[in-house]
Amino acid sequence: MITFDRVVKRYGNSVAVDHLSLQIKSGETVILVGPSGCGKTTSLKMINRLIEPTEGTISIDDRDTRTYDVNDLRRSIGYVIQQVGLFPHQTVAENVATVPRLLKWPKQRIQARVEELLDLIGLPAAQHAKRLPSELSGGERQRVGVARALGADPNILLMDEPFGAIDPIARERLQNELLRLQRVVRKTIVFVTHDIDEAVKLGDRVALLSKGGVLEQFATPEELLAHPQSKFVTEFLGEGPLVRRLALIPISEVALTPVNGAAPAESVDAGGTLRDALDAVLRSSDGRVGVVKGDQTLGIVDADVIRSASMRSR
Amino acid sequence: MSVFQYIADNWGVIEPQIVTHLEIVGECIAITSLIGLGLGIAAARSEPLSTVIMAVTSTILTVPSFALFGLLSIWFGLANPPVIVGLVLYGLLPVTRNTRAGIKAVDLAVVESARGMGMSPLQVLLQVELPLAVPVILGGIRQATVMIVAIATVGATVGVDDLGQTILSAIGRTTGTIDAVLAGIIPVALIGILADLILAGIQRALSRGRVSVAAT
Ligand SMILES: Nc1ncnc2c1ncn2[C@@H]1O[C@H](COP(=O)(O)OP(=O)(O)O)[C@@H](O)[C@H]1O
Ligand SMILES: [Mg+2]
Repeated sequence: MITFDRVVKRYGNSVAVDHLSLQIKSGETVILVGPSGCGKTTSLKMINRLIEPTEGTISIDDRDTRTYDVNDLRRSIGYVIQQVGLFPHQTVAENVATVPRLLKWPKQRIQARVEELLDLIGLPAAQHAKRLPSELSGGERQRVGVARALGADPNILLMDEPFGAIDPIARERLQNELLRLQRVVRKTIVFVTHDIDEAVKLGDRVALLSKGGVLEQFATPEELLAHPQSKFVTEFLGEGPLVRRLALIPISEVALTPVNGAAPAESVDAGGTLRDALDAVLRSSDGRVGVVKGDQTLGIVDADVIRSASMRSR
Repeated sequence: MSVFQYIADNWGVIEPQIVTHLEIVGECIAITSLIGLGLGIAAARSEPLSTVIMAVTSTILTVPSFALFGLLSIWFGLANPPVIVGLVLYGLLPVTRNTRAGIKAVDLAVVESARGMGMSPLQVLLQVELPLAVPVILGGIRQATVMIVAIATVGATVGVDDLGQTILSAIGRTTGTIDAVLAGIIPVALIGILADLILAGIQRALSRGRVSVAAT
């Protein structure tokens, strides 16, 4: 659990973060989102003390971070940045071994850990351990950066716009991979982005900040999209928040209309979201879409089903 | 070729001069590299310090060598000591400047991620910044070496018995001046080329090492 208690960061007369109070629970992914320059990076870097707060305290599991040795603290927290910052003179394996080496783990343990992590990120050691960062694609580099941050199995992972410099297709893949990874490793993740869609997709909860590090709203993605608390939030969410919210609701969680008679011509896979379902409804000639799993039709989704499902989960 | 005839005839004199030359050059490079490395690291860390260090090390290079050696001999006596000190001073600029530039050229994201993972400032310097700066630093050492090999000849003016003596003794001769001068210059050039080749080899070896040696 990470607790921000009235944290302030000033640079001269300008306030980068203004009395931020925030509690991040163990094992949840919290996204800090907001326009450029609103204090996201500053807030993140205050957690591992790359930046020291001017006022207030940040504690991890109720212990003030200032009471830790700063290097011990950082070794216990994974850190991933947009430019990745892999060591160009070291191989993938050496990069991933960085924190275990700093912690003086025995050699065998380091090697086993590196192999485990490279498997986890889908770059098996046999083919990739000896490669240099310059030989990797942008996406591969970012995955190695994540593996390196997970090196000594930290409880907390800090990520600062990690996918910001990646092309949209690879980014989507990396986002999905992070979701998969998180199901396996269950870290407390603090993730910074300026992209609300990324925030809504990845976050268990989203903290929306405005200029000067003012916390505008801290809520689940569903709550945020359905009930923006201020004009700033509404504007930041942009067009069609409810339609975007449909992408968060799996079809499998929706009460379907039973199939009565012939199955509809149009269909959607049961593994999709309500947004996929809506797409199919609009595509269909009669507004009725069959939800299929393999060659079985589980039920029918139409505009009413979608609306009531989105109402209920508000 | 009468130059080689001259060298052969005077080998008894020239051989010890070559040895002395090599000794002086070797010592000076070692010392100037260590000091230059330290100054370069300091200059990379502090901008005000950098201004002072760069100003001083560049100014030294504007002092003519025989004047510097003469001046230093007031405190260090004659022969080798003032020349070694003088050559070390001359070598500082390229080593210092390149060390600073090499460290400053390291990607800030790389340094930030190193600090973010809990490396101490010393670990960042030794494990990240210096290894990445090695090719640039060695470039500075190579420049210093070529300079030191050549300027060491001027040490003859304050009594160093290196290859400069052969050149110096040629001046004022009525005959064979060119042969005598070349007899000094050719070994100096060979030493310079050899030293540069050796350092280039080290530069390559260390670049390789940075990749594989750190593996364990
Ligand atoms: N070292 C610094 N000195 C002065 N101002 C800074 C410094 N770092 C950040 N700031 C200012 O603090 C504010 C927040 O910056 P930052 O946390 O990097 O924003 P974000 O990550 O949300 O884009 C910005 O207005 C920025 O200009
Ligand atoms: Mg930022």
